[in-house]
Amino acid sequence: MKIVKEALAGTLESSDLLVKVSPAAGDGLDVVISSEVMQQFGAQIEQVVRDTLNALGVTDGLVVVEDKGALDCAIRARVQTAVLRGAEVQTFNWSALS
Amino acid sequence: MTDDFEFYAVDPAASPDERHAIRQLLTRCGLDYEEHIQVFVACRHEGRLVACAGLESNIVKCCAIEPDLRGGSLSLTLLSEVVHLAYERGHSHLFLYTRPENVSFFQGCGFYPLAEVPGYVTLMENTPVGIRSYCDRLRTKRIAGAKIGAIVINANPFTLGHQYLVRLAAAQCDWLHLFVVSEDVSFVSYRDRYALVEQGVQGIERLTLHHGSQYMVSRATFPDYFFKEKGVVGDCCTAIDLLLFRRYIAPALGITHRFVGTEPFCETTRKYNADMKYWLQTADAAAPAVTVIEEARTRAGGTPISASEVRRLLRSRDVDRIRALVPSATFELLQDKYMPKIVPFVPDLAGAAGEPDAVPRRAVAAGV
Amino acid sequence: MKLRRSMLFLPGANAAMLSTAFVYKPDSIMFDLEDAVSLREKDAARLLVFHALRLPVYRGIETVVRINPLNTPFGHADLEAVVRAGVDVVRLPKTDSAEDVEVLEREVERIERACGREVGSTRLMAAIESASGVINALSIAKASPRLIGIALAGFDYVMDMQTERGDGTELFYARCAVLHAARAAKIDAFDVVWSDLNDEAGFLKEVDLIKRLGFNGKSLINPRQIELLHNAFAPTEEEVDYARRVVAAAIEGERKGLGVVSLNGKMVDAPVIDHARRVLQRAEASGTRK
Repeated sequence: MKIVKEALAGTLESSDLLVKVSPAAGDGLDVVISSEVMQQFGAQIEQVVRDTLNALGVTDGLVVVEDKGALDCAIRARVQTAVLRGAEVQTFNWSALS
Repeated sequence: MTDDFEFYAVDPAASPDERHAIRQLLTRCGLDYEEHIQVFVACRHEGRLVACAGLESNIVKCCAIEPDLRGGSLSLTLLSEVVHLAYERGHSHLFLYTRPENVSFFQGCGFYPLAEVPGYVTLMENTPVGIRSYCDRLRTKRIAGAKIGAIVINANPFTLGHQYLVRLAAAQCDWLHLFVVSEDVSFVSYRDRYALVEQGVQGIERLTLHHGSQYMVSRATFPDYFFKEKGVVGDCCTAIDLLLFRRYIAPALGITHRFVGTEPFCETTRKYNADMKYWLQTADAAAPAVTVIEEARTRAGGTPISASEVRRLLRSRDVDRIRALVPSATFELLQDKYMPKIVPFVPDLAGAAGEPDAVPRRAVAAGV
Repeated sequence: MKLRRSMLFLPGANAAMLSTAFVYKPDSIMFDLEDAVSLREKDAARLLVFHALRLPVYRGIETVVRINPLNTPFGHADLEAVVRAGVDVVRLPKTDSAEDVEVLEREVERIERACGREVGSTRLMAAIESASGVINALSIAKASPRLIGIALAGFDYVMDMQTERGDGTELFYARCAVLHAARAAKIDAFDVVWSDLNDEAGFLKEVDLIKRLGFNGKSLINPRQIELLHNAFAPTEEEVDYARRVVAAAIEGERKGLGVVSLNGKMVDAPVIDHARRVLQRAEASGTRK
């Protein structure tokens, strides 16, 4: 899936996260995570984000995450929403979202 | 399970009642209403307007929450809503000004500090990679040398005065970086301004021409609105712009000197040049100092050449005198494109609608 | 016999609520993709609910999702998401006729087959929100074997009736009609939400009314209402005592292979035994009434 425009999903509320995606400036995927629990869970959050992007076939772009202590399921949902919005995709393969 | 905070967008120009309520809320919170805001996110709780946040293009302004509702999650929801609204309106790169004591709150909302005038104000942007990737791009154009110069011009339009300053600076430096202000709100469009500069500096050696950016003489870096009525206009209005230059742009390109033309008549310009010396050279900043060199403007027929003079002559259709102040490419463009555009409708545009010129207004007043 | 006294509404777009609502222990949890979600957030809410449904913490609790009507741009995608995610019950809003349920059922079956879910395992409930819906309540209630219940939704209904919410007079006919249809079809009946959180006395008065009418339960918008409702539905000590004796007699009768159950020399009918079992179920769930 290719990110073709800037897009946003989520909120800054507690237990949620804000995800911003932008088309790639160069090649590759740039994932930037900021979290209140960066010390404890930064690596895990990044893994969930990257796995989710990978399942959607996103290989290029900038993904910025402002995490507010969200559960993994919320991270997946917000990343997917932002990517689908940024890729301007309406129909997709549900199994890639599991 | 629901919360009873209702958020919605308000066009202040179209809704006088909402505008009035927002103004009252801002007053209760000790803030001024900003006339240039195009849209607000408003929040009502039990019918009462309890929070708002405005957008002037990509700048978040007038964030306020009723004092008795602060400290909870409302502020985070408010910021989320205004960021979503900005995206819907096509603005993803956002800026905001806040007092330094509020920086940590906005950091929790996904904003990152760019520059601070200690004790007064901090400029923040909503991305952790904005200025970083901008500087990364600049660094690819870095040229080694002992004396690396920079000039920032709006070139509205490009005159023989600009050309003279560029030539003079280039001759003194190992390399010169020339930036054209990219905020497209000037009388002459950015496209045209850039093209005229490009033609006008052809043949000048050891020079790189750059597009401007949000981080340089833009609506975002000149917070004139913020300081109005706060009594700190003189000290701070140029500081953020200059601190950004010193802290990020100059180190990325290895710039050691910044060149600027004098303006013998204008007090504001003298003040701006003095500010430039202060913030680039003197003020305590983490980044190394940049030496400011003021060059006397070149003259035509005894008068210093300035872009504002050219625009004044344009309004009075004084074609012959314009010809003496600008390169031929500028003259042709003005004659073909801009003269027919303004003269038939508004004989005195300045009087009718104010200066049809560059925002940020302070930057223009300062003769950038 | 599934106990369905409390059905807690959760706005589908709210990540924090979706992540924590299981702690309140309502009988059913209802994720809302319809009215509680703004147009801008329909896609986001659908994905949040999709993932929330798969959380292990929701395995022990009945999950319901109110989808958008199938004639909107969102309904079909909502359905696709929640059936695939394994929702227990799909709640269809604005049900006006049996045909609405039949269309939904065909669509659910198609998705079940496509994703490999057992056909028939997705249950349905229909919300009745209009005069037509109330008139057609019986045919709606009997429209599909997947239906676990029908619910009255008050706000839209009173608008359609050109009145507004008041002391309950405005819902009198609709409550009776929906309840009779549900009982005739042998499925559950759910009452409207009570939206004034500050009026606890009003809430309890309404709960008492719908309990006496015979509703199984009520849709709730705030977790604070759960305990109040469960307590109001809890039987008294005397009711529990009597129910225990009825059930004991029934077990005894069954053990002895008697065709007839008797208590204190009087014959006890099957409906009385069923009722006694429900009383004990409620007592087991939340004790006796305080």
